Amino acid sequence: MGLRWHHFALWGLFAVTLFVLPEFVSRGTLRTLIFANFLAIFAISWDTLSGRTGYISFGHPFLIGIGAYTTAILTKRFDVAMEISIPIAVIATMVGGLIVLLPALRIKGSYFALVTLAMMELIYQLVQVIRPDLTGGTRGMSGLPTLTRGAVNGYYMSVSLMLAIALTTWLVMRTRLGTALSAIGMNEEAVSGSGLSVTKLKMAAFLFSAFIAGLGGAVYIHYLGSIAPRALFDINFVFTIIVAALIGGAGTTVGPIAGAFFLTFLLEYLRPYLPGAERYMVYSGLALILYMAQPKGMWELFFQGIAKFDRLGRRE
Amino acid sequence: MLQVLIQGLLLSGLYALIAVGFTLIFSVGRVLNLAYGAYLLIGGYTYFYFSQQLGLPKFAGVALAGIIGCALGILKFQLIVRPLKGNHVAIEISTLILAVFLQSVVIFVFGDSSKILLPIIPGVERVAGAAIPFSNLFAAIASWVILISLWLFVRSTHMGRAMQAVSMDAKGAAISGVDATKINMFTWALSGTLGAIAGVFFASYTQLYPGMWVAPLIIAVAVVIVGGIGSIIGTLIVAHIVGFLEILTSAYIAPELRGVFTMLLIIVILVWRPSGLFGREEL
Repeated sequence: MGLRWHHFALWGLFAVTLFVLPEFVSRGTLRTLIFANFLAIFAISWDTLSGRTGYISFGHPFLIGIGAYTTAILTKRFDVAMEISIPIAVIATMVGGLIVLLPALRIKGSYFALVTLAMMELIYQLVQVIRPDLTGGTRGMSGLPTLTRGAVNGYYMSVSLMLAIALTTWLVMRTRLGTALSAIGMNEEAVSGSGLSVTKLKMAAFLFSAFIAGLGGAVYIHYLGSIAPRALFDINFVFTIIVAALIGGAGTTVGPIAGAFFLTFLLEYLRPYLPGAERYMVYSGLALILYMAQPKGMWELFFQGIAKFDRLGRRE
Repeated sequence: MLQVLIQGLLLSGLYALIAVGFTLIFSVGRVLNLAYGAYLLIGGYTYFYFSQQLGLPKFAGVALAGIIGCALGILKFQLIVRPLKGNHVAIEISTLILAVFLQSVVIFVFGDSSKILLPIIPGVERVAGAAIPFSNLFAAIASWVILISLWLFVRSTHMGRAMQAVSMDAKGAAISGVDATKINMFTWALSGTLGAIAGVFFASYTQLYPGMWVAPLIIAVAVVIVGGIGSIIGTLIVAHIVGFLEILTSAYIAPELRGVFTMLLIIVILVWRPSGLFGREEL
């Protein structure tokens, strides 16, 4: 796997920094950080499916929503304990991942992106109409049980989950499986020509992505304590997830995390100047410029910067 | 029954008008323009600004919406599509970002709340219990006229045939002396104009609000996917399938389910027959 001691040192440093952070920052900043953590989880999940294999999903909330709604309905309507409902939600989301996989076996590129968009719209409309007594219809549900109380506990929960998911993803992606998934993104025919089963590999990627999405979605709504279809199955939500992964750097593990933190804080710092949704003007404008300048993301820019610095140093 | 027929025809005409600009880009440039819905948004707001806030004549408002849509299409082609040089995924993602950007510009300028657009032609006629606003009738007729003239244009003029050539095989077209960049730019301009004009009608059919670009985008996607690439007649037929499906669903099953069958149609067609019902075989 090519692990070096400095990998663990960097991960350790990152984890320690995040864990001591509540001692230094305000409650408000912590709440922002919690959202950044959840966005990072969703971005990692999107990246596992789309960033690596190149199957761009425009309907990732489809998966997140299955996880979130499963646990919400189980706890609210059937009084199931969260310890049981969250694993069930994760399994349900993985089944959802198989549904997303079906079109990916036949179509790719723009067509696949469109199917996922249609899936998200479909579930958005169905949730409001089919059994509103269970799903809460258009208004959603509130008063769901929460896992933690207070900003500090919520922060520790979200940061542990995010770090666990990030580290697992990072390790998995360093195995031969991860290499094969990235290879699918580059040239699917070549992968199948090398005698690997593309179907099995894609299934692994989709199930893994659905696992993260389901876990993240379920824990997220048990942090919020409420669920609303309009906020969940929203093209702006898709946009935020995709932009976080792309701005940071698709196909890496650190990229989506960096992107999620960058974007969440950008939005938060713009709040005093632009209070409403017009903040997205700066946000999306910046995202567009960054993306057009370097489609591989900030992480790539960072490496290019280091390489340049290195060359300068050697010349002297 | 007659009521369903009339409403279905009116809605389908509007959908055909919405979808045709999207079809053009998808067949000629082979690019999924996710910011297509933003043309409708910008078109609707331009019309609102010029004819309702400044009080210009209504048809001047529609014309200005078309001009701004045209300019937007050219800008989008020059600034986003050309630099990305046929990287389809990158174009899709950057047009999605652009759509959100334009939406927030609209919020910044006009505010978050929805606006009511006065009908282009006031007045309502009642036939067999169905109310026919003249505005919708006009939109349906206009969309038929635009679609038929577009079909004639693509079939019989030099420019139209060049567009067809580029959509079939860009390399072959280049060898025959067709400047693909010029054709592409023309197509983007035409698509922007059509989208912005469709936006005026769509906004007067529903209402004007910053999030209004998503629904028409999905309708356009549905029509193009089910109809297939490169078929204007297919667009017209499928717009009627989608329109009647919605009207029939809301009349006989439940109004809330009106979009569900459209989505199912997209998913089933894409998985079962990716080239669409009337499109060319490819992929």
